[in-house]
Amino acid sequence: MIERLSLLYPEIVLFLGACLVMVIGLSPKREVRSLCGFASAGSLLIAGLLAINTSAGNTTPLPGLLPYVKAILAGVGLLLVLLLSGVVDRRDEEEIAAGRRAFSAMRSNRAEFHAFFLFSLMGAMLCATADDLIWLFLALELTSLPTYVMVAVSTRGTRAQEAGVKYFFLGALGAGIFLYGFALLYGGTGSTNLAQIARELARQGAAGDINPIAMAGLMLAVVGVSFKIAAVPMHFYTPDVYQGAAAPVSAMLAFVPKTAGFVTILTLVSCAGWSYGFVDGRDVYGAGFALPAELRIALWVIAALTMTVGNVMAVLQTSIKRMLGYSSVAHSGYMLVGVLAGAAAGEESGYSFAQSGVAAVLFYLLVYGVGNLGAFAVLASMERRNPDGELVEADEFGDVRGLCRSSPLAGWTMVLSALSLLGLPPLLGFFGKFGLFSAGIAAGDYALVVILGLNSAIAAFYYLRLVAVSLLDEPQGSTYAPTTILARPLAGAVSALGVIVLIAFAEPLMQAATKAGRVAPMTLGVSPEGVRRAQTTELPEPGTGDRGAPSGAPAPEGEHDGAGH
Amino acid sequence: MNSGSIIPVLNLLAAGAEEGHASAGPVAHGPWWVALIVVLPMLGAMLCGAAAALKVRSKLPAFLTVGLLGASCALAVSMYLELAGGRSITVSYRWIDFAWGTGEGQRLVANFGFYIDSLTCLWMLFVTGLATLIALYASEYMSHDQGVGYCRFFAAFNLFVFSMACLVMGDNLLLLYLGWEGVGLCSYLLIGYFYKRPAAVAAAKKAFIVNRIGDLALALGTMLAFVHFGSVEYAVIFAKAQPYIEAIKSGHLDQVPFVVQVIPLLFMVGAFGKSAQLPLYVWLPDAMEGPTPVSALIHAATMVTAGVYLIARTYPIFLCSEYALPVVAWVGALTALLAATIGMAQFDIKRIMAYSTVSQLGYMFAGLAFLSSAGAAYHVFTHAFFKATLFLCCGAVMHGFAGQLDLRKLSGVAFMKGWGIVGLAMLIGCLNLAGVPFTAGFFSKDMILAESFVTMGPGYQVLGWVLLLTAGLTAYYTFRVFFRVFVGPKTFEPGDELHAHDDHGHDAHGHDSRGDAHAEAEHGPAGHAAPGHGHDFHPHAPGWAINLVLLILAAASIAAALPYFMGEHGGWVPKLVHESSATTISDGHGSTAAFLASGLHEPGASAHGTLFGQDPHKIMYYVSGAIGAVGIAIAFVLHYAGRKTAGTSRADALVPALGPVAGWARRKWLVDELYDALVRTPLWVLSHVFHLIDKLLIDGLVNLFGWLPRAAAQRLRPTQGGDLHGYAAGMAVGLGAVLILVWMLIL
Repeated sequence: MIERLSLLYPEIVLFLGACLVMVIGLSPKREVRSLCGFASAGSLLIAGLLAINTSAGNTTPLPGLLPYVKAILAGVGLLLVLLLSGVVDRRDEEEIAAGRRAFSAMRSNRAEFHAFFLFSLMGAMLCATADDLIWLFLALELTSLPTYVMVAVSTRGTRAQEAGVKYFFLGALGAGIFLYGFALLYGGTGSTNLAQIARELARQGAAGDINPIAMAGLMLAVVGVSFKIAAVPMHFYTPDVYQGAAAPVSAMLAFVPKTAGFVTILTLVSCAGWSYGFVDGRDVYGAGFALPAELRIALWVIAALTMTVGNVMAVLQTSIKRMLGYSSVAHSGYMLVGVLAGAAAGEESGYSFAQSGVAAVLFYLLVYGVGNLGAFAVLASMERRNPDGELVEADEFGDVRGLCRSSPLAGWTMVLSALSLLGLPPLLGFFGKFGLFSAGIAAGDYALVVILGLNSAIAAFYYLRLVAVSLLDEPQGSTYAPTTILARPLAGAVSALGVIVLIAFAEPLMQAATKAGRVAPMTLGVSPEGVRRAQTTELPEPGTGDRGAPSGAPAPEGEHDGAGH
Repeated sequence: MNSGSIIPVLNLLAAGAEEGHASAGPVAHGPWWVALIVVLPMLGAMLCGAAAALKVRSKLPAFLTVGLLGASCALAVSMYLELAGGRSITVSYRWIDFAWGTGEGQRLVANFGFYIDSLTCLWMLFVTGLATLIALYASEYMSHDQGVGYCRFFAAFNLFVFSMACLVMGDNLLLLYLGWEGVGLCSYLLIGYFYKRPAAVAAAKKAFIVNRIGDLALALGTMLAFVHFGSVEYAVIFAKAQPYIEAIKSGHLDQVPFVVQVIPLLFMVGAFGKSAQLPLYVWLPDAMEGPTPVSALIHAATMVTAGVYLIARTYPIFLCSEYALPVVAWVGALTALLAATIGMAQFDIKRIMAYSTVSQLGYMFAGLAFLSSAGAAYHVFTHAFFKATLFLCCGAVMHGFAGQLDLRKLSGVAFMKGWGIVGLAMLIGCLNLAGVPFTAGFFSKDMILAESFVTMGPGYQVLGWVLLLTAGLTAYYTFRVFFRVFVGPKTFEPGDELHAHDDHGHDAHGHDSRGDAHAEAEHGPAGHAAPGHGHDFHPHAPGWAINLVLLILAAASIAAALPYFMGEHGGWVPKLVHESSATTISDGHGSTAAFLASGLHEPGASAHGTLFGQDPHKIMYYVSGAIGAVGIAIAFVLHYAGRKTAGTSRADALVPALGPVAGWARRKWLVDELYDALVRTPLWVLSHVFHLIDKLLIDGLVNLFGWLPRAAAQRLRPTQGGDLHGYAAGMAVGLGAVLILVWMLIL
């Protein structure tokens, strides 16, 4: 019980940080309130350090997810805090600075905004900690609910509100779908504990007879969670919401819910497959490709459609935010290739980054998060005043024309981010895509790898356009000026530096991702050769955690452990 | 896998490999500081780059370079003192460690690691030492360019030393390749240093492009080595090559797989490119368009010996191949002869030295192929010093006479005031190159020549005579330069860089009196050929830096003979080579694939060729000494005795007697024209054909693929109308489609 608590330290720190931020935000002094950002950054820093030191001891089939996922969430979260500064209360601050108005304690939203941000990150981290369907659902919704509000308040005017409303309704629909899926999964396996679900599905799978209800539940869950990662058919909201929200919030939407969604999908899929046919890298039961065929084909179709639709639609956009929205869809498609490739099962020794799709996805999340943040940061750091006196961010391609000359820091940030997102060697994005390609090839899924390659070529079209416009074109009387909030270009510059500097650390990061993506060997009732060895190494044990159901030894059969529900 | 774990494996493998090697111990961990030898020049390159960015206009970058390279040299010396004789690997940074499986050959490991043995130490000693000296020389030589160009020069100079150090010290073929490309790049940058001169740009491009051919072969060889041996690390490769060598020793040539025979052939082509051997030598003479310090360091002393180093470093693989070493022998010897004949007919003294470099490199390759890796290495070592001396002397002349390099327009330079040291250094260099007895060049060349008669191989006796003949030609063309330019009547004609030179000369060097110079140089009638400027011109004698470097180098050229008497086995250098991986494997001579294949003797038996019925090791001193003396004597008669002017000599009378041959030699046997017709023209035609195909077919396809996504997007666009109900319906339909798909599959 207490040992399990140590897994939650990062989340606890973030929760305390959020509470602190809200208390600070009630202060009658403006100066104290302006500490909100520092308080959130501080709590993220502590959470990140704690996350690195967390032991990889979860009981799900992917026990190693926690430290890695939480560490990248905290790391990119720190950059996001920088980027998010000044999203709310900008107008008030300006008017107070200009002496037109006195500070009013009632008008400031900053504390809530930062607290929501921390809550959302906390939810994403909890997704990695969750070992139970209910916990997983709550974590997912904790990730999303604050973002609905953040989108709606991110800019003044109706566009953000429209985006917020759309995001909320469609998100609720998506949540309904996967909640239904979770319920059916419980019905089909008799448990909400992920390890037990995995065991039960493995037992059914080995018997060649998966309960159709469980399968339908799995499918609904995966499709529903596709909303979080913006995959087809749940991708429709993406361009509208990304365009409607302020660029810093869009950057957050492209990373935090997406990470939570992928962690969930990886966890769910790992319960359904990959591991049960394989023990110590050997196909013990002759089950062949370990994922159930239905799930496999569905994921295949979703992956192919997602990347194709995302890329094709991105080609036509004139708004950079919409383009990045569609490309966010496409990147989810790429990563689904890694999900489909799955983990090469077995122990740590016989197992490398290039073979593991899970590791590739986990690494790509970081790569995408860093590159994407840079691109949005450039948009966030170019502003102009519209006729109403509101500050408007750059959005159209024309707005960044000749940026490398007019404002070199922002321009080069944009160029490096776009090239990294494109996957141009030797930038960080290349290493990310390399992992996906090699995992796809290792899994023998050549058709999908070809589709991935063709899509990367289409992506080159619009990313290179972004590069060409900002690097090669002459600046043409743009009305946009660099923002007065220096933290934003700073966040962009750090992420642009990241796509170069992290190359040097790609190796340890890949190792960490490989470790995080390791699937625990699973035991079944039947005991063919080799299983005994797996039993001695590491076993996902059901029934620990918050419910306190005791169950020491591995259950040979799928125990119907519904206690507490 | 943690960082320490690969080393014990290597140790194990290498220890296995060393059985049967009396001289070498197992691979050990090297100290960390050897990495500094590589890092310091890189630091220098960065600092010089920063200086360029800051528009430094002083000699700061030069002295920075000299300091850093000097420190690097000191470290190389301490590396030699500490590590020579053993084998050690220092892994500074784990660079590439990449696996796609757990099986054999499914893991690529290439570290920034340094493989230090005696061969490495030998090369690093003269690379860093010469680089330091030549940087000092260049500080004065390049002074008319102070400013951004000066910084650029020294940045590239440092980058070159960094790349060369990577090439020599790397513990794997990938790092060697990195250094290989790096030195090629720096060579390109430095040849094209005067980028406003079309000839320099063309020469730089030629060097780069010709080298690509060799580089491609090296890359292929590296890949093939990885495919076959499952690693690019020397320690592993050598360990795995050992069984093949054992097989050959016991006469089982058929146990060596074909692919192992191919790898050294590919490496060989790479070496021919970098070291300017037939048929890829054509870039080196043109490379003389670069500043002279560059010619001295890169294109005479260090970079062009990279090919020799490559073969010496991977000698165990070469010993496995039936064909590689004989091909190397023939190519080396023929290159030596061809380049010497061209050198005899040239007038540009730097070009003569360039052809001489090509020719001497031919000796080194032949030495490797005659199983005299020790002789080859010793010749590399001595050649580095005396050829650098010769180039720097030519450079001093060029610097002082406004770019004049034509030996018909200069005479008696050594006797002009201030030129004594240059003349002396030149004489020492020439004596070495001509192989006059008791000079370093004499001993090192004799080691190779003697071995050519000793070692059994296909046609090796013939090659021995070719090389002896070449030695005579070498002595002739070397002293032709000396007798024409440095002694004889004092007269000169300045080169065409006169104007530019005068502009800078006064600011940079502060020559106060023109009258002085007039008094020193007694202008002969030929000296006035350049109208106008010629009257005002005064050659400016080299300053302290150039003189100091020349003195040190001349002394080093003489001292390079001393190692010959140090220790057994022909001296210090051979001892170093025998301690390294480049040692020949047999106790007797000739137990390699080539000799087994030639069927000349029984496996394991010791064969020993003879010259005039004597042991070649004993009588070669006299034979080669006599041939050298004949060459010098002919040069004396033709180019010194009775010569009154700079432009004419008795040799002119001989030219008509030779008929068209002299003209062909002067035009370099028309090799450039031949390559033009054989390679460039067909490529040009082919490129036009491909251009058409590209334009019609490929562009059409590309445009089609560009058009498809757009067309698809136009169709999909209505689905994104911004309507919330529409989106929700879309999601529902999509979910339904997925469920139906699954349902159909289940049924």
